[in-house]
Amino acid sequence: MPESVAHEAGSGVYRARGITKNYGPVAVLRGIDVTLEPGCVHTMMGENGAGKSTLFKVMAGLVRPNGGTLAIDGDAVSFAAPHEAHARGIYLVPQEPALMPELTVAETMFVGQLPTTTGLVKRIDWRAMRSRARAALDTLSLDIDVGALSRSLSIAQQQQIECAKALLRGCRVILFDEPTSPLTTHEVEHLFATMRHLRDEGYTLAFISHRMDEVLEISDHVSVLRDGMLVDSVARPQFDRTRLLSRMVGREMRTIPRRSWSCATDQPALVVKGLAHGSRFADVGFTLHRGEILGLAGLVGAGRTEIAETIFGLRARDSGSVTLAGEDISTLQTHAIIERGLVYAPEDRARHGAVLPMTIAQNVTSGLISRVRSRLGLMDHADEDRIGAETVRRYRVRCAGTDQTLRELSGGNQQKVVFGKWMGLSPSVAILDEPTRGVDVGAKDEIYALIEELAREGMAILVISSEMEELVRLCDRILSVYEGRIVAELSGEAITPERVGRSYLGHAEAQDGVEVAA
Amino acid sequence: MNDVAPALRNEVTARRGRTRRLPLGNWERALLALLLLLTAGLIAGVPGFYPGFAGFLALTENFLPFGFVALGLTTVILTGGIDLSVGAIAGLAAIVMASLWSGLHVSIWLSALIGLLAGGLLGLVNGLIITRLRTEPLIATLATSFIYGSVGVAIAGDNPPSGFPDAFNRVGTGAIGWLPVQIVLFAILAVLFSLLIGRSTFGRRVVMIGYNTDAARYSGVRVRQVLTLSYVISGTMAALAGIVLAAYYSAVRPDMGDLLLLSTITTVVLGGVSIFGGEGSIVGVVIAVLLLGMLRQGMLIAGFSDMVTTMLTGAILLGAIAVKNLFAGRGTGLSTLLGRFRRSGTAPAE
Repeated sequence: MPESVAHEAGSGVYRARGITKNYGPVAVLRGIDVTLEPGCVHTMMGENGAGKSTLFKVMAGLVRPNGGTLAIDGDAVSFAAPHEAHARGIYLVPQEPALMPELTVAETMFVGQLPTTTGLVKRIDWRAMRSRARAALDTLSLDIDVGALSRSLSIAQQQQIECAKALLRGCRVILFDEPTSPLTTHEVEHLFATMRHLRDEGYTLAFISHRMDEVLEISDHVSVLRDGMLVDSVARPQFDRTRLLSRMVGREMRTIPRRSWSCATDQPALVVKGLAHGSRFADVGFTLHRGEILGLAGLVGAGRTEIAETIFGLRARDSGSVTLAGEDISTLQTHAIIERGLVYAPEDRARHGAVLPMTIAQNVTSGLISRVRSRLGLMDHADEDRIGAETVRRYRVRCAGTDQTLRELSGGNQQKVVFGKWMGLSPSVAILDEPTRGVDVGAKDEIYALIEELAREGMAILVISSEMEELVRLCDRILSVYEGRIVAELSGEAITPERVGRSYLGHAEAQDGVEVAA
Repeated sequence: MNDVAPALRNEVTARRGRTRRLPLGNWERALLALLLLLTAGLIAGVPGFYPGFAGFLALTENFLPFGFVALGLTTVILTGGIDLSVGAIAGLAAIVMASLWSGLHVSIWLSALIGLLAGGLLGLVNGLIITRLRTEPLIATLATSFIYGSVGVAIAGDNPPSGFPDAFNRVGTGAIGWLPVQIVLFAILAVLFSLLIGRSTFGRRVVMIGYNTDAARYSGVRVRQVLTLSYVISGTMAALAGIVLAAYYSAVRPDMGDLLLLSTITTVVLGGVSIFGGEGSIVGVVIAVLLLGMLRQGMLIAGFSDMVTTMLTGAILLGAIAVKNLFAGRGTGLSTLLGRFRRSGTAPAE
């Protein structure tokens, strides 16, 4: 080990006993006992709102618990701030690290503890800083330039930098708050390699994830949280996918196979031809039929969102046409496209999909404000509430009333509101970009069921997703997008996770092996 | 509303929703209480502040032009923008009206109408510069305020017109019975703006843009159109204020709008409108107009200099905003402050 990585005296057994946390009358954690062992990856699973993140924040000193004790190597500890946790060797890697975009990698790693030269005038010791940063990155076998600006890093690299920061601060316990959800499959493998490396060095690691495959792959120990309680805790030999899933949702759940029925027709609802824009995407053409669920598969950044936004009139295009029910809509503005029955639910809810400080009812009607009954130009708020309440009921939004702001809802419930906002317009074509991002397992199934129901009613649905299981489960047909081009089309029996993955990943590696199935 | 986080509960609820229909939020209620206290205090403590009911109401003629500007400016600030050209537009519109009347012998009423339209047009120019040239509202309207102001000076010449017909001057100083015309005009406009912001689809779009411009665009709101219109409204209201001021003084000066700008921004912010957009109500702004106006008049009548009054206005603005931020819990709010005390204390108070 390089000298830059300091060692705590202890081995790094981190024990939490009877942790409770309330926000007002709501109990988020109700007496959690958990022990993190060195040389072990301990995974917390659970639906959104189960309390996983809160538990990590308590353990990392970001949130003060209402009750319970924390002990590292048998010493009772309590933290008023994250830096106190760092001092005791505990580090939390946030899901989307907040590095300083204009600083170099080395600077960002040493923020708050810049090394200085000795002497009369203390200057920053750039040389030492760079070499220590390099050493920490080398420990993790990370090929990242310490002189690069932080903003040039991918989220995966930023997370790895956070790991290196933990090492520099001599931390032995590293907690990862849902690190994989913004990452591509490829990046997840890199992160896991880093985690395995740390585990083999005897670090104590804990990890939050929704994704069963990842959990089974990386974990040595899995704890399942539900409603703020620890409902299961198993070591590697006893892993069982079905059992973990059923513990998470609190009811029996099987891994769902591909649905057997299809209600895809041969009536075209949306025809896209030769759509192109600069270097983003080119020659994009496909036909979406009534009742069909068509998937766009691909790596994050392949241009799928840009294609959807262009169809929805939010981006300029260089060429190509978009025809909705026989009418060319490629020159129309977004509001006119919505009125003609094409809607787009964007992937980034907080930025694009919803207005978080506004109420549920106001968000539901925001897609087409004129759907609220008006008299003499004045909106009928009672009618708006009715529409809101109907949506809340139909899409099972958990809330106290339609006058709650969206900010107060969980991710899954926000997504249901956004879903209801667009589906309430009964569009003929819906483009759903990452429809279950940040949504818990139970709500995911509800959303899948809704999408299938809408297809059955004859809606044409385009699903953009980075979750293989989701695409395989939902889609009648899948188009693979690689660097802005459609490189493969799969349908029927050809749709398996392996073949879908291979259809674009294979392209990414070999530029051949394009698989086109009937 | 904030004390529950029902999303964390597990049962599925779809309770019949209700939107709070109370016209007054906490902020507005506090402002109203302050206004009543202040007025009562001034009536009791300042001799000459209450010279009888009609005279008392007539006091408002001194500050209601600020209110007209505030109504229009609120629309712009709710979108997250700002209009620094309101003062210049007020001056220019009044000069356009006066020049048409004295130079071209157009009827004063027609001239006033053209003045209003000119204000709308100047606002349109602002809006187009902001939306089409993608300029920051602050920079765009700062620049146009210089241009509009200079044009006003040029048109006015050395000897700006004055001495308008009495019928016209009644808009500024007249009364219907004991009710000053300005109050009638302001009341009507306040109700209209309240409906425009609170009940119309335009107002909803304004608020959406103010909270989250991107989300508005992704929801099919024609952002540029709504923004442009909000600057047109702001310009028109500024012109109205200029015209009312002209009627009040029976004279125009190119710099007559200069005072309007900063006082009006103060009023809008004190009224509870977030300078970042989205949040705020017309009711709050209306109360703030009366509050600041009464305070100013009271102080002047009590014999304080303009300097002291202005200083106090600044202090009130700071105090009000500090209180608001503390209670709104905008991250640096009261809870954080209390949390700090708790943290330094021995026992966690939660």
